[in-house]
Amino acid sequence: MADRGPAFVAQSLTKRFGALRAVDGLSFAIELGEIYGLVGPSGAGKTTLIRMLCGLTEPTDGTARLLGAPMPAGRRTVEHRFGYMPQERAVYRDLTVAENLLFFGRIYGMSRSRIRERTRQLLDLMRLEGHADQRADRLSGGEKQRLSLACALLHEPDALLLDEPTIGLDPALRREFWDHFHELNERGRTILLSTHYLHEAEWCGRVGLMQRGRLIAEGTPDALRRDAARRSGRIGPEDAPDMEDVFLILTAAAVPSAGGVG
Amino acid sequence: MKGYRILAVTERVLRQLWHDRRVLVFMLLLPAVAMLLFGYSFSGDITDVRVAFVDEDRTDLTESILESLQEDDVFDVTVLEHVEDPERFLLDEGYQAVIRIPEKFTSLYYAHFAMGVATSAQGTIDLTLDESDPQIATTIRMGLADAAMDLGEGGPVEIETRELYGVEVRFIDSFAPAIMGLVVALISTVLTLLSIVREKVDGTFSRVWVSPARRAEFILGYVLAFGLIAWVQSLVVLAVGIGVFDIVINGSILWAFTCVILFAVGSVGLGTLMSALAQTESQAIVFFPLVILPSVLLSGMMWPIQAIPRLLRPLSYLVPLTYSNRLLRAVMVKGLAPWEEPLGFAGVLVFVVLTILLASVVLRQSAGERE
Repeated sequence: MADRGPAFVAQSLTKRFGALRAVDGLSFAIELGEIYGLVGPSGAGKTTLIRMLCGLTEPTDGTARLLGAPMPAGRRTVEHRFGYMPQERAVYRDLTVAENLLFFGRIYGMSRSRIRERTRQLLDLMRLEGHADQRADRLSGGEKQRLSLACALLHEPDALLLDEPTIGLDPALRREFWDHFHELNERGRTILLSTHYLHEAEWCGRVGLMQRGRLIAEGTPDALRRDAARRSGRIGPEDAPDMEDVFLILTAAAVPSAGGVG
Repeated sequence: MKGYRILAVTERVLRQLWHDRRVLVFMLLLPAVAMLLFGYSFSGDITDVRVAFVDEDRTDLTESILESLQEDDVFDVTVLEHVEDPERFLLDEGYQAVIRIPEKFTSLYYAHFAMGVATSAQGTIDLTLDESDPQIATTIRMGLADAAMDLGEGGPVEIETRELYGVEVRFIDSFAPAIMGLVVALISTVLTLLSIVREKVDGTFSRVWVSPARRAEFILGYVLAFGLIAWVQSLVVLAVGIGVFDIVINGSILWAFTCVILFAVGSVGLGTLMSALAQTESQAIVFFPLVILPSVLLSGMMWPIQAIPRLLRPLSYLVPLTYSNRLLRAVMVKGLAPWEEPLGFAGVLVFVVLTILLASVVLRQSAGERE
């Protein structure tokens, strides 16, 4: 249970699709207990990176490790211990909310009574109480997304990989999702999530800025802000850059080296 | 491999179908409607029916019967010296009929001609007939009668027919097994295909793949669900067949169900295979005619394979339903055990093993190839 070493590791991780380098020699390490946000525009390679970390996509080069296991080769040893929320709201649209949870619980080997118990807890947590017997395709977008998150949390994984969990949510709901994330994190879960909402970076413990398959900057939100301020020559706290500025400043700084590889 | 995960997939598939009432109703109505609609005969020009000709009289007259049979496109005639037990011979050698002209046929024939209708002695041809395909049997009867008519000046020739399976088999009796196979092939292939493509589109596929579920468990879960459905559909076909058309089943129902379910397994495999070629549901729909048309046209379901133009016949042997038809007809109409129809049985088994193995390979690839 108590792993030494980081929850997620990438070492010179590369994925090529034909001529496109979706992920390009990327390295990072995320310690147990962190909330780490991958931030960047769509097409930056966030989804491919996450899919390689959970063993769905085979790296072209480099290594990916999840809870110490090399992926995808070692995924059998850790498959019970992580939860994955794909970018699509990956639930069975022709099953009810409760049946979706039942299916995912069963393939993780949970007993029916345990699944019932967890379903009650999760529907409560996700404020889906009245929807247990509603078919997933009758749910609103936000509700479906909460169901999708519930499916990833069902088997109480230690580590979570959430691909754009807040995409398309209204601001209030997004806030609520983040409250869940912080709560889960306080209870010891390691979370790696991706977002293209730049201001969500503020709510992460650490942030990795991604562009064109590379990690162009990494650090706590404060550290990134300081770095950006230094580069842009802003000094006073009153003109401290917000995350959007940070992204623009740091990506501009990264452009020359990005052009070098292409 | 864990039983509970296989069952989890099975239960999920069945629940999904349960929620989609239209599909559910369709699944139960299709066998009934198909059985009712197709409960009528179709007929093409039948050619190349294998018959054995045994001439024990050897005269110019019997020679002319043989010639006129050989001229007829319907028959593929093999001349044999002697056949000890025609019924055994048919079962073992794959001929449709044995035509035997006994000694003294010619003399009896002319005697009858000379003495007029008053005498009872008459030239008789023995016909031993495989009735499992009634269309072929009828064609043989008519063809032989024509050949006898061609003799011209002679008196009436009596054709004494022995049916191989005791009773006369009607078209509808041999049609029920084909409907069973068709309905099962369509539903299992098409719904598996749609369901897996939908999993890819919706992303639930990725979720299953990061879970402890194995590919084999996933496929077996589908197999179990559609095996169960195939069994229910067979019951519907039999109920309509017996209730409305009064069909006769000579063989073991248990063997019939076993073979139908086996065929459903292969069809699930085929659906899984096809899912690799479709990224969206509308792409998947393009495959439907590919499943339906050859099955209906080439499998020997509506008309015997001998009624299909010679050039197209090899294609028939690429259609899985061809083997299922042979197998199910052998089991239900002829009352044989599956292995007594080696071609049909082997065909279905190869279909199952091949599609399931390939499906497993294909699933590994679709799991990794996205984005």
